[in-house]
Amino acid sequence: MVNSEQRQAIEDVVYRSCLALDTRDWKGFLDLCDESFRYTITAYSPEIRKDMTWLEQDKNGMDTLFTNLPRHNSDHSPITRHATVYTVEVDEAKNEATVVSALQVFRTQLDGGATELFAVGRLHDTVRLDHSGVKLAKRVVRLDTRLLGYGYHVPF
Amino acid sequence: MSRNGVQWSSKPRFPQTHYVDSRIYTDRAVFEDEKEKIFRPSWIVACHESEIPGAFDYRLFNHPSGVPLIIVRGDDARVRAFYNICPHRGNTILYDPSGNARRMTCIFHQWSFDTRGNCVDISRSEQGYQDRFRKEDASLREVRCEVGCGGFAWVNLTDDCVPLREFIGSAMDILEPYMQEPMEVFHFHKAHVRTNFKLWHDTNSEFYHDFLHYFNRITGMLQPGYFDRKYTGFPNGHATVGSMQIQYDKYEGSKERAVGWPGLAPGGWFMVDVFPGMTFNLRTSVLRIDTAIPLGPNEVIIEFRGLGLKRDTPEERRQRVFDHNMIWGPFGRNLHEDLLGVHGQGRAMREGTDSRWVIQGREEGSTIHDEIGMRHYYAEWSRRMGRPAYDPYGEGKPESVRAAA
Repeated sequence: MVNSEQRQAIEDVVYRSCLALDTRDWKGFLDLCDESFRYTITAYSPEIRKDMTWLEQDKNGMDTLFTNLPRHNSDHSPITRHATVYTVEVDEAKNEATVVSALQVFRTQLDGGATELFAVGRLHDTVRLDHSGVKLAKRVVRLDTRLLGYGYHVPF
Repeated sequence: MSRNGVQWSSKPRFPQTHYVDSRIYTDRAVFEDEKEKIFRPSWIVACHESEIPGAFDYRLFNHPSGVPLIIVRGDDARVRAFYNICPHRGNTILYDPSGNARRMTCIFHQWSFDTRGNCVDISRSEQGYQDRFRKEDASLREVRCEVGCGGFAWVNLTDDCVPLREFIGSAMDILEPYMQEPMEVFHFHKAHVRTNFKLWHDTNSEFYHDFLHYFNRITGMLQPGYFDRKYTGFPNGHATVGSMQIQYDKYEGSKERAVGWPGLAPGGWFMVDVFPGMTFNLRTSVLRIDTAIPLGPNEVIIEFRGLGLKRDTPEERRQRVFDHNMIWGPFGRNLHEDLLGVHGQGRAMREGTDSRWVIQGREEGSTIHDEIGMRHYYAEWSRRMGRPAYDPYGEGKPESVRAAA
């Protein structure tokens, strides 16, 4: 059973990860991640009836992806991640927690500031709990939305 | 020195084959004409055979001309295509984009059809129709369907169309050696973009826009062999692009694509643009195919498929997926840039913006930055449409000739 202090710390790391990515604080985001961190975006396609992986990186891969961003031509509209932590389950033996959060991503146009819903899905996080604090060990972004217009370069 | 209004509107100082009137991208009447003259008589990729592997497996496809289709594998393993329209009250028969249906039953009044297009049940038929109308009068509308060119299911809405092989000609010969093994779709997504479908195909028909892609500049343009890649045009508007050795490891975060493709040289990359809006793109370890499905003159859905080999080990498949996603996934480095590029064209060319011409004037001996791929496409487009892309309204003709037309 997760105690309220533990849950608070776990929720905190999920929300801070969204804030860091929203503000393009890449270092801040990576600081929240364990060295073994893996990030994946997945979706199920009812068209081909298959699970798909759309992005998969380790911590170094994420760092490189962020570093390369200025070299690419990208949509500069900011996106805002809204996460709500639904469930937290702690595995004391492993010093881990599995966390499921709802995720909505909104995109705001630079010209005029119109905001549109960009994507919905879930965050399936594995959080490491040890003496050094609470760290993200794994994040699987499970997208329901698959029609993303002209796309985006920054992971959700 | 900038140009005034007259100068801006003046025809480009190129041969007529080297520019197009940008109204062909925005005019509703041109688009309606394209549906009849371009899309209905052309062979279009609807899906891949791996999406319907078993008997009664089906896949829905919205044909570019607007017709909703069911692609289904019958009990005899043959792949057929039918209108997804109930002949009774015009309802949609199948709703889910894919599935397995021994009987295809319209939910409205329970009329039922088999996978050969026969109507097999009309509920309370005798009571309502007596002997005036029978199941035999209510078959589905079948359209031409062939499986070919790597196991893709192609459809054609014109009953007396030429066979697929004749339509493609020898344009796919460059890829055929690499499509001998069974393949499998592992990736599918759509992009909805406010732009004209031809602008997407244009992007797939010219490599000069590699300046848009940091990844392609680093791994291709700056490497030996890049400027030797050649375009070759084929009858019916198709074109191919020759290979080179892409240096994937030059991009930080990428590496040599070790998994490769049977028979393809390391780092190899062939492309085939199929008229009017499909591109086969074999890039070292992954085959991608784009199918453009226009919804209007300035609105298109593009279907993207990524394919590997059916015999892939889990490790090989995982590597192909990674390679695919690096540049071509919805979060890939190149796809977003390409889509952003044509989105920008859609913004700049929408009706009323006073965009006038699109120049396709680069000549570099048919090599990679030559714009011959687009010129070849528009020669075919003009022929089929019966109007030249450089003067789609006959404004260059004398008034008497235009009136007669």
